[in-house]
Amino acid sequence: MGDYKVINTGAPRIDALSKATGQAKYADDFKMPGMLYAAILQSPLAHARISHIDTSKAKKLPGVKAVVTAKEAGLIKYGVSPARYDETLFAYEKVRYVGDEIAAVAASDLATAHEALSLIKVDYEELPAVFDMFDAMKDGAPQLHDEFPGNLNAEVHQEFGDTEAALESCDLVVNHTFLNKRQDAAFIEPHSCLAVYDTSGQLTLYTSTQVPHYVMRTVAMTLQIPVGNVRVVKPYVGGGFGPKCEATPLEMSCGLLSKITGKPVKMTYSREQVFLHSRARHQFYAEMSLGVMKDGTMVAVKNKAVLDGGAYTSFGIATVYYSGSLIGGPYKLKAMKYDGYRAYTNKPACGAQRGHGGVAHRACFEQLIDMTAEKIGMDPVDMRLKNIMTAGDITVNELDMSSLGMKECIETIRNGSDWNNKKGKLPKGKGIGMACGFFVSGAGYPIYRSDTYHSTVVIKLSEDGGVANVFTGSAEIGQGSDTAMAMIAAETLGITLEQVRVYSGDTDYSVDLGAYSSRQTLMTGHATKEAAEEIKSRIAGFLAEELGIPASSITFGDGIVKFDGAPGNFEKIRSGYIKEHRGWTDPPSGEYLTFREAARMAFLKAGTIVGTGKYKPHRLGGSYKGAAVGTSPAYGCSAQIVEVSVDLETGEITVDNMTDAHDCGLAINKMSVEGQMQGSLSMGLGECLFEEVKFDSRGRILNPSLGEYKIPTALDMPNVRSIIVESNEPNGPYGAKEVGEGAIMPTIPAILNAIYDATGVRINELPVTSERLFMALKKKAEGV
Amino acid sequence: MKKIIQLTINGGPVEAAVSPNQTLVQFLRDDLGLTGTKHGCGLGDCGACTVILDGKAVNSCLVLAVQANGSDVLTIEGLAENGNLHPLQQAFVNKGAIQCGFCTPGMILSAKALLDEKPNPTEPEIRTAISGNLCRCTGYQKIVEAIGEAANVIRGREEL
Amino acid sequence: MLLPKFEYFEPTTLEEALRLLSELGGNARVLAGGTDLLVRMKLKVERPSQLISLRKVPGLSAIIPRDNHGVTIGPAATAADLSKNELICDRFTPIALAAGRLGAPVIRNRATIGGNLVNARPAADLPPACMVLDATLKLKSTHGEREIPVGEFFRGPGETVIEPNELLVSLFVETPAPWSGGAYIKLGARKTLEISMVNVAVLLTLQEPQGLIVDAKIALGAVAPTPVRAFAAEEFLIGRQPSEKVFAEAGAIGVGLCQPITDHRGTMEYRCLMIETLTSRALKQAHERALGWKP
Repeated sequence: MGDYKVINTGAPRIDALSKATGQAKYADDFKMPGMLYAAILQSPLAHARISHIDTSKAKKLPGVKAVVTAKEAGLIKYGVSPARYDETLFAYEKVRYVGDEIAAVAASDLATAHEALSLIKVDYEELPAVFDMFDAMKDGAPQLHDEFPGNLNAEVHQEFGDTEAALESCDLVVNHTFLNKRQDAAFIEPHSCLAVYDTSGQLTLYTSTQVPHYVMRTVAMTLQIPVGNVRVVKPYVGGGFGPKCEATPLEMSCGLLSKITGKPVKMTYSREQVFLHSRARHQFYAEMSLGVMKDGTMVAVKNKAVLDGGAYTSFGIATVYYSGSLIGGPYKLKAMKYDGYRAYTNKPACGAQRGHGGVAHRACFEQLIDMTAEKIGMDPVDMRLKNIMTAGDITVNELDMSSLGMKECIETIRNGSDWNNKKGKLPKGKGIGMACGFFVSGAGYPIYRSDTYHSTVVIKLSEDGGVANVFTGSAEIGQGSDTAMAMIAAETLGITLEQVRVYSGDTDYSVDLGAYSSRQTLMTGHATKEAAEEIKSRIAGFLAEELGIPASSITFGDGIVKFDGAPGNFEKIRSGYIKEHRGWTDPPSGEYLTFREAARMAFLKAGTIVGTGKYKPHRLGGSYKGAAVGTSPAYGCSAQIVEVSVDLETGEITVDNMTDAHDCGLAINKMSVEGQMQGSLSMGLGECLFEEVKFDSRGRILNPSLGEYKIPTALDMPNVRSIIVESNEPNGPYGAKEVGEGAIMPTIPAILNAIYDATGVRINELPVTSERLFMALKKKAEGV
Repeated sequence: MKKIIQLTINGGPVEAAVSPNQTLVQFLRDDLGLTGTKHGCGLGDCGACTVILDGKAVNSCLVLAVQANGSDVLTIEGLAENGNLHPLQQAFVNKGAIQCGFCTPGMILSAKALLDEKPNPTEPEIRTAISGNLCRCTGYQKIVEAIGEAANVIRGREEL
Repeated sequence: MLLPKFEYFEPTTLEEALRLLSELGGNARVLAGGTDLLVRMKLKVERPSQLISLRKVPGLSAIIPRDNHGVTIGPAATAADLSKNELICDRFTPIALAAGRLGAPVIRNRATIGGNLVNARPAADLPPACMVLDATLKLKSTHGEREIPVGEFFRGPGETVIEPNELLVSLFVETPAPWSGGAYIKLGARKTLEISMVNVAVLLTLQEPQGLIVDAKIALGAVAPTPVRAFAAEEFLIGRQPSEKVFAEAGAIGVGLCQPITDHRGTMEYRCLMIETLTSRALKQAHERALGWKP
């Protein structure tokens, strides 16, 4: 580890002050003169043919400025992956889930907009619907999309090595199945967007998104506006976790309505609409076999996945690939086979959510390891350590673990949690469990096929020399990326954090693919570092020329400049600065030249000092079909130990404490890294114990509220011990890599393994409500 | 028909005409531009709109603006005094208790109501006090730590 | 979320409130804490044309001790007030405990006992607690007033015997006899911010410390269209020596009268099993508190 002055500390976030005082602005906080309020009409039926839409009454309502349907919006198909564009802004011919968008209204106030929606008359011809993923793939099931017979949205078949032969050679093969439930990301800020179409034909969206770049492209495409005329600005965002990773009907509707009316148009989803839009975690069914030798050596894995995709593709193609590819590590395997299927059903579309595609299958696999360890009489920690990959290993599916502190993470939590004295030794009703996991640190390829840079950054020094302004299209959504970029810029430039300002989330600032796949620290970080290095070399070049010394003798740190590590003779620069700033109140003093003086004088000589940086990964992965999904320049990893208490009379589970060790490469901001770890564990705990989006028999969500869709409260969370394990990632800026998603991978199986330790009952379906656990305990007691 | 209400908001008098069906959070955000109070669900499930009404932390989405007539309302904008952050705000900043920040104003106000009543809370009391304020980012760990630290700071000041 | 339009009234005396109720008829609703009513209005489940707020009517939130024989509780007393009130905690424990489990602090600071009773949700926290304490409700209208035992108050989900022109103006609860102890247990998914899957309130009275059970009251919530008293289990307990075995048997008897439903919060089968477990657990807790009774 280097001797860093800014990075690798726990500096408070640069946006914390404005958030603590209520000054930070989120999309719904914006208002503009003449602004209209918009609302969307959504289908009350899960599957129906639309025979007629009559908007005439709505249009006549005083205060209504525009009503749009597929007729006005057109039928341009969009989606996430160009290979599966299967959505149009508004439904035409038919609706495919309760919540499918049919029309949008802009009016002078929100109540009028809602009243107008109630005046739109839609004639439906109800069609049979299918809600279960297994039913959807059966012969004779109602069909959602003509282009995808059998409701088979995607299927994946991959094999590395001869899996059947490898399994046959094993001493023991253990099987397990697992079923999670559809989740909601439950960010606290509902989607909101303010669209402004101006007289020059430029559309600006102020929107709550993780991906300004992709929103810009999709909105330009669907609304047929040249992409250069669409600007997406992301204000502060109240959480995303995946579902804000794609353009929404809300954004497109606002854009369209603003284009038609020439007025600013704002819309905010209700909490129920957030649930209806969904794009959150799929329901996964996993079926897995693990083959091992008697000594605990893992040999081969067979993995099958069925995903309930909902009515459209969204991120689903990537999701169904991830469920396979992310089993490739962090244990050495000789062979692996994967078969994945994603089915269409008449429910809201599922997409990406923290730990994209990997969480449920990781939960299945890590339970399977514990089951296997028990059968061969081995400690589960020892079994994992025996098979663990280390830096430089390449998985059976060709993922390159360029750094991997997995072993260190496991050893750290084993010692940190007193595992050896607790495992198998706790009283009945108390249990301890562990699990591991890893995740990409930035997807190796963009969502659309392109040679684009994944991140570019522009740094412009203020002309007074005092501030470095970092311009980036990357998305601060709460994870702390602005602060990370500020720290990287400050470290590289040798200035203090206070001397850096970050302007982010705006497609006019730079190209950045956004906040998904845990990519920004590594990718935007690289571009930031490169931009800062360019600036540094320009200042150093200026000083070298002015002072007649070699540029290599000049170093920057803490906002001051050193020459051969000493104050040096910079009289010429300082006297020039003082002469230029006669009458100013803060003349520079002190024995060292300041960065501000140097930058100011460099500006006087050369004009505005700008540095640019860019990043795209080197070519990654194998050449088999789907090899791109799962590739990444780096992988973060995590190991967790969880202790639980089970009330054996009711099935209620209390998670007593959690210990998490995560390898994030070099921690740019330690406080943010811990925050990501703790947040991941909380989401994992919720998914494991409470969370499930439930539907009635007609496809309507039964619990579209944060009262009935239950995320953990402060009383459900135990104290979490988060331990940062640092490695040096060769592909990361300053050796840094991800933390935001890898940390959720072990949480669910660690809890499930702890429940098993406490009760002797192996749960293979989420969520583990008190009822589910109690009934399983009862069954076991009755010997069923 | 609109009704005239008079109330104190963040220490200053406010007089306004509001519709009966306007909630306090709508009044604060839409009419007064106090957008620090967030709107997360509208049903009292998330706590993002928490304000302190006559000394008590409440969901401002479940209070009518007319019901606040004659009351004293504190929002996040009124917490800092003379440009100095309240110890809770400072502790939230220092301890990393803020991520996306959407729950932060409500969280801080629920915490303030707690510390006003119990200057030396236990950890379970802290967790209970914020149990109606959902946070999806932090797992509450650093929030609980920050409230504990703010309590220490406030008590330390009062002992001086 | 927008509230539908309505007319708002803020009477300043009880008489005025009653007159408004009587004049406005069935389309008016009384607004107390609003934590239930405003939610239902936003969800368009209820659409009253008028709201009559009680906030300016004096005295409705008072908790007044009546010498040593009881307490009068105003309908606008909040769950927070009740959960923290020393007298309620000490002598009317099930009410304090149930009030302390209602929602979360931000809800408890607004939600009132009157609202929790009148809204008559089958899973509500306070009704079972009031039932084991045999609370008497005073209902008033412009025509007069009547008193009704809480046990006769509920008629179905969201339905009570209260007439459209009547207002719940107070509850009276008699102080339980010496050597009494109470308990309240709620089962939900999370530790807080929950609607009960099952809840149980209990009041147990001993003849003397270590003596026989002389009185037992058990009420269950979320197990039938209205909260119900487990009379058979109560009768079984009276005259017996308290023991874990006796409490377990009472729990089993308690299940007999319940008709819980299966919904997305839990199945009928699990609810029945939990009634048994939680009733015996609540009896045990009440018994421990009874043993610690102090004059």
